[in-house]
Amino acid sequence: MSEDASLAKKIRKAAQLIMYQHHRLPGVKGYELRKYIGRDFMKIVSLLQRKLDDLGLEVKIVYADGLEHPNPTEEELEQARFYVISKAPLQMGDASLSGWRIDTLAVFAATVAYLTSKQGRAPRRDVEELLQEKFPDWKIDQDLNRFIRRGYLDEDQNCVLFIGWRTRVEIDRKRLLDMIAGSSTDKGEPESGSKI
Amino acid sequence: MANRRWRGLPQQGRSEEYYEELARIINLCQSISTKSDDPFLVDIPQKLTILKRLLPKWKLIDDLLMDAEAIRELSLMVKLQSDWVKRRASGLFIDPFLVEVKIKLLSKEALAYSVLSSWHPLVAMDQLTPERLEGALDYWNSILPLSQRVKEEAADQTASDRTVDIAELVRLRFISERTFNEDIRQIRSRLVESAKDGPIDYWKFVLAPTYEETVMNAYRLSFLVSKGLANLIINPIEETILVEPADGVENRRGGRSVVISISYEKWMSMIKETERA
Repeated sequence: MSEDASLAKKIRKAAQLIMYQHHRLPGVKGYELRKYIGRDFMKIVSLLQRKLDDLGLEVKIVYADGLEHPNPTEEELEQARFYVISKAPLQMGDASLSGWRIDTLAVFAATVAYLTSKQGRAPRRDVEELLQEKFPDWKIDQDLNRFIRRGYLDEDQNCVLFIGWRTRVEIDRKRLLDMIAGSSTDKGEPESGSKI
Repeated sequence: MANRRWRGLPQQGRSEEYYEELARIINLCQSISTKSDDPFLVDIPQKLTILKRLLPKWKLIDDLLMDAEAIRELSLMVKLQSDWVKRRASGLFIDPFLVEVKIKLLSKEALAYSVLSSWHPLVAMDQLTPERLEGALDYWNSILPLSQRVKEEAADQTASDRTVDIAELVRLRFISERTFNEDIRQIRSRLVESAKDGPIDYWKFVLAPTYEETVMNAYRLSFLVSKGLANLIINPIEETILVEPADGVENRRGGRSVVISISYEKWMSMIKETERA
């Protein structure tokens, strides 16, 4: 097999691994990519990224600690999870695509921004108190439970809410905070992961 | 343990102020951890000095456990301080109070717009392989109508797991003794014929075109083995099971039980292998 054919095969395999849903969660861990593609899996992921560019998609790497790693070590990459996300954010006209009403989106924005400002975790009671300024109790409860079910939030047995895996993947939290705090720029960069 | 509060002060006759100091340290750490407040509010060296000063006063195991919990909480604070610094460096740090005020001031539409502008939807695909689809079709074809399944499940509720012997099957008129004896004779003749050149593979011998017939063959063969009319030769290393006819001397003593499971999936895969061959 020529080198080009071998590379093309590896790129296809990487796309399958990252985009197909395995068990319950989408995405794939770095060590799984290394197992199936080889030690040079980051080179293959970069080549896949070039192909995804044309489709308006990109590979996002979410590290185990949820923080950005400009120069990740091999171990950090192996423990990170790789996803494919849409390169451009949703527009206001796309709001219906999310399947959520405007007020649910507002609850989501407020909750994620508040939790992010509180180091990613806060008692559910505090979040509910904040939201009660604008929303009825029944809606807050319904929406928070919906976010937990869909992986956007997590809750432990002590009723403490956390940022969920899906928020880490899909939401550019730095940009969200910038926009809410009134210092938005159009060059928002991702915060809890890296894009290739 | 993580959220336990040391409210009450134990042990009569012991100085309560020592316990109060310890309880204050534990409660402060837990409160900061739960509310995600600034962990640098805790002066770790000062708290450690207090613990060091109090240590000689502890005599009971409960005292020492409380002291250990205080140490644990302080070490968690050190970790939170480390995370706090990392977070500030990552550019995610913002004053929580400012965020809270802004959330209260912004309209619902503005909040919705802010999250939409930051939302990069995940792209993932569900997959259905031809093998999985085939399995689903087999399942659909073999599954009984719901009305029958409900009846069977209701009947199962009163039944318990137990072994049913031949005599009982005959008594229940599930099989007739004459038919069963005839079946046994037939399968022994087939075994003798098939194994005239030496022991044959167990699965080849019991495999039949239908799952039910395969299970019945295995059942009849197990009866032959129990009666001493057939021998099983099991090689655990190569994972093979061979069967050969025996001289017919029944040997009930010193025997051992062998469990051979025949699942529907295993039968399906064997049938496919046979068809391919």
